[in-house]
Amino acid sequence: MTGVVLSLRQLGVELAGRDGPRLASNMAPVLEGLDLEVREGEMTALVGESGSGKTIAALAVMRLLPPGARITGQALFGGEDLLGLDERQMRARRGSVGMVFQNPLSALNPSMTIGRQVAEGHRLHTGASAQAARRHAVDLLGEVGIPDPARRLDEYPHQFSGGQRQRVMIAAALACNPKLLIADEPTTGLDPLVARQILDLLAKLQRDHRMGLLFITHDLSLVERHAQRLCVLYAGRAVEWGEAPAFFARPRHPYSHALLAAVPRLGQATLRGIAGTMPDPGHRPHGCRFAPRCPQRQDACTRAYPPPVGDGRTQAACLFPLGEIPVAAALPEAPAATTPLPGSALLQMQSVTIRYGSRAGLLGGSKAAVAPSLDDVSLELARGECLGIVGESGSGKSTLGRAILHMLRYEGRILLDGRALGDLSPGDRRRERRRVQVVFQDPRESLNPRLRIGAIIAEALQLGGQHDRDSLRRQTDALLERVGLNAALAGRLPNAISGGQAQRVAVARALAARPDIIVLDEPTSALDVSTQAMLLNLLRDLSRHEQLAYVMISHDIAAIAWLADRIAVLRAGRIVELATTDQLVNHPRDPYSASLVASAPRLGAATITVPGEA
Amino acid sequence: MRILGGIGRKLGSAALSLAILITLTFVLVHVAPGSPVYQILGPKASPASIRELNHALGLDLPFWHQYFRWWLDLAHGQLGTSYSVERPVGSLIVSYELNTLALQIVSLVASLLIAFALGLAHGVFYDRTPGRIIGGVELALYAMPSFFSGTLLILLFSMQLGWFPAGGLENLRLAHQTVASNALHMALPCVTIVLLTVPVLSRYFAQSVHEELGRDYVRSAAARGASPSRILLHHVIRNALRPLVTVLGLSLPSIFAGGVVVETVFSYPGLGWLLWRSALAQDYPVLIGIVLVIGILTVLGNLLADIVNTLLDPRTGYA
Repeated sequence: MTGVVLSLRQLGVELAGRDGPRLASNMAPVLEGLDLEVREGEMTALVGESGSGKTIAALAVMRLLPPGARITGQALFGGEDLLGLDERQMRARRGSVGMVFQNPLSALNPSMTIGRQVAEGHRLHTGASAQAARRHAVDLLGEVGIPDPARRLDEYPHQFSGGQRQRVMIAAALACNPKLLIADEPTTGLDPLVARQILDLLAKLQRDHRMGLLFITHDLSLVERHAQRLCVLYAGRAVEWGEAPAFFARPRHPYSHALLAAVPRLGQATLRGIAGTMPDPGHRPHGCRFAPRCPQRQDACTRAYPPPVGDGRTQAACLFPLGEIPVAAALPEAPAATTPLPGSALLQMQSVTIRYGSRAGLLGGSKAAVAPSLDDVSLELARGECLGIVGESGSGKSTLGRAILHMLRYEGRILLDGRALGDLSPGDRRRERRRVQVVFQDPRESLNPRLRIGAIIAEALQLGGQHDRDSLRRQTDALLERVGLNAALAGRLPNAISGGQAQRVAVARALAARPDIIVLDEPTSALDVSTQAMLLNLLRDLSRHEQLAYVMISHDIAAIAWLADRIAVLRAGRIVELATTDQLVNHPRDPYSASLVASAPRLGAATITVPGEA
Repeated sequence: MRILGGIGRKLGSAALSLAILITLTFVLVHVAPGSPVYQILGPKASPASIRELNHALGLDLPFWHQYFRWWLDLAHGQLGTSYSVERPVGSLIVSYELNTLALQIVSLVASLLIAFALGLAHGVFYDRTPGRIIGGVELALYAMPSFFSGTLLILLFSMQLGWFPAGGLENLRLAHQTVASNALHMALPCVTIVLLTVPVLSRYFAQSVHEELGRDYVRSAAARGASPSRILLHHVIRNALRPLVTVLGLSLPSIFAGGVVVETVFSYPGLGWLLWRSALAQDYPVLIGIVLVIGILTVLGNLLADIVNTLLDPRTGYA
């Protein structure tokens, strides 16, 4: 029997609302009644989308919530309630509870050497000399897999890659031999291969040090291999919890099912989003929080929060758990990829090379020293085809997208319908350029926050030479409808709609130019899991109905495989493999693309059922 | 190595700024109203004597030739002769500049120390009552012009209490007087400058401390068990000082130029006072000399601030 390291009992957190004074009436519950156990040498996963309260739970345990937060319940660490300690006592515990944060670049002090940051905890808690702490830091950095740690000790965070920075963060968290390590989305924003390595590292450290690991993530597929137990949060409450293998074998709660079905996996044919949005704290429904979005909803669901049902292994807070109804068919396997329509290529790139940073300054280096961001890339795109571009960050995939958009200087030729844009007159060139549109990663940044949704789309129409007000309004409404949005949204500002809706607006704006090609630059990575699936479905429907060609750039190979007809694997500016999706996913030829494919979640690793599919 | 490369680039751009500055002042000399010959000889000069002086001053030479001589004169430190006091502009400026620097450096050091403490407190208690009170005081001081606060200080400390002289440091050579007398004469102008500078610096610093305290690395340090005071001392202050150094660099012109208003209110014989006097006397060689000297010192000062910032932030050297 393994010992319990951390036990949360009815943990609840209330935070002051964003605006207004800190009054009792202004406090909104962001987390309620959370029970959770982390055991020695085990990984417990806390899973939820943004706004579910998962990070709040971790910060409550560390007592690092913003001032004014009200915490209720207990957090027992080694039998002692962390919530009852005074600040000084809590500081002493923070070494034995380590924490790793999301986004290691901002979580590390930019003007302090990593050696000092890694050693800081050790010095604080053991009073070790600077020399001893330095030696300890070298050992720790070696253990987390930083090559040649003694030499790199005096370097600064910006001199490390993203994955290495996260390793440094982990080393700093390990400095005082923690009994419990809390990792809050430690792999988000990292390349899939690197994310996999970080996850394996955490699993290994947890075994070697017999630590309890609380792993917080929005991605169920990530923790499938390593977690012993898990807890799924929705809108501040646990909806399902228990042993991880039993959960993945038989998820009970409709939300767990929906979450599993929303993450694209290789070989998966249908992808289901969850319609609607998670309610904000303070506006949460009475009864089951998921009820408004739940396909199984019945009247009883809205009366009170459902009591837990289940067995000794997993339990769900649901009146109508899906385990009890006949299991629907598993997600169907993908049909054989449809071959792109024959015909002349819409877009051709011929030996395109792009170099950044080649401007030679007064005292600058030589031009040849800069490696090209894109090196002799040739490819074709047919009408109505979706071409996926995958690769790690820095591989040149965004550069490739910007080249297609003619947003930067390139060597080589890019032809649209057999004509090079550079050969056209300026007026023709502007017209031709409108045929290639773009959707960026973060709709919050790509939509002007001061323009209303209707005006954003109308502007794109006006650039096409349309100025009649009535016609503009009709077309704007029609475009919003085409991307599955209510025309009433036209009067809102971008910050008054959800992230998924904003990305649909970005798609509608691209459509307004009647493009032949849309470049999708990481279109889903800023979105929540359930919204990602909705957007991918929309993109697929659009391409089928409108003969639209996509160039989709992403590090999420499963999402790309779901949408793309062909996939190009980019590494260090070169295409290492370009093949049909089916071929690449099942029989990759290049070792690098094989490792990329292996890092992606695959259908069949867990049994997934989809309600209402049969 | 690459940090050195970054500093090299900054040196290059500073040299370019200086060249542009020197060229602009040359243009300024030529567009200034009234020719120097007219100024020197007066309205009743004969055409022959004008021609003679024009020739003696080299004003009849071709444009490019004069431009070249402008550089040559500068290289020899020759800025011409003042019309009103008939001393070489260079030495005139140097003696007044020393007075200004003495006043400004004492004021700056005092301002920095006060602004650091005040801004740190303001930043730490940013949204709470102590922070709001400090912010209010800063704003009130910031809104007070120096001719007002200076006059107020004279009324109170010189007229009423008689603790400090209200001015009258007629002898230019500060060094020839006793330290005590210098300190007495500098006290009130110094306080006036401090009252003007502290709110600006302290508000910048407070803003910066507040922003840094909200950053993720602060949370990481807290998660390691670092105490609030340790977080401030070891993590926040160094990062928060960077914008302050930039502001200091931008405020360098006023350090070299001195405050025209403050020095005039206290009749303190500094560069600002000289500027005001020369402007009244239409003494163009002195005015242009002052512009040039201030410009050069400003470019060099900004270069210094850049280099300090590069050393404070390891990333900037790589940008």
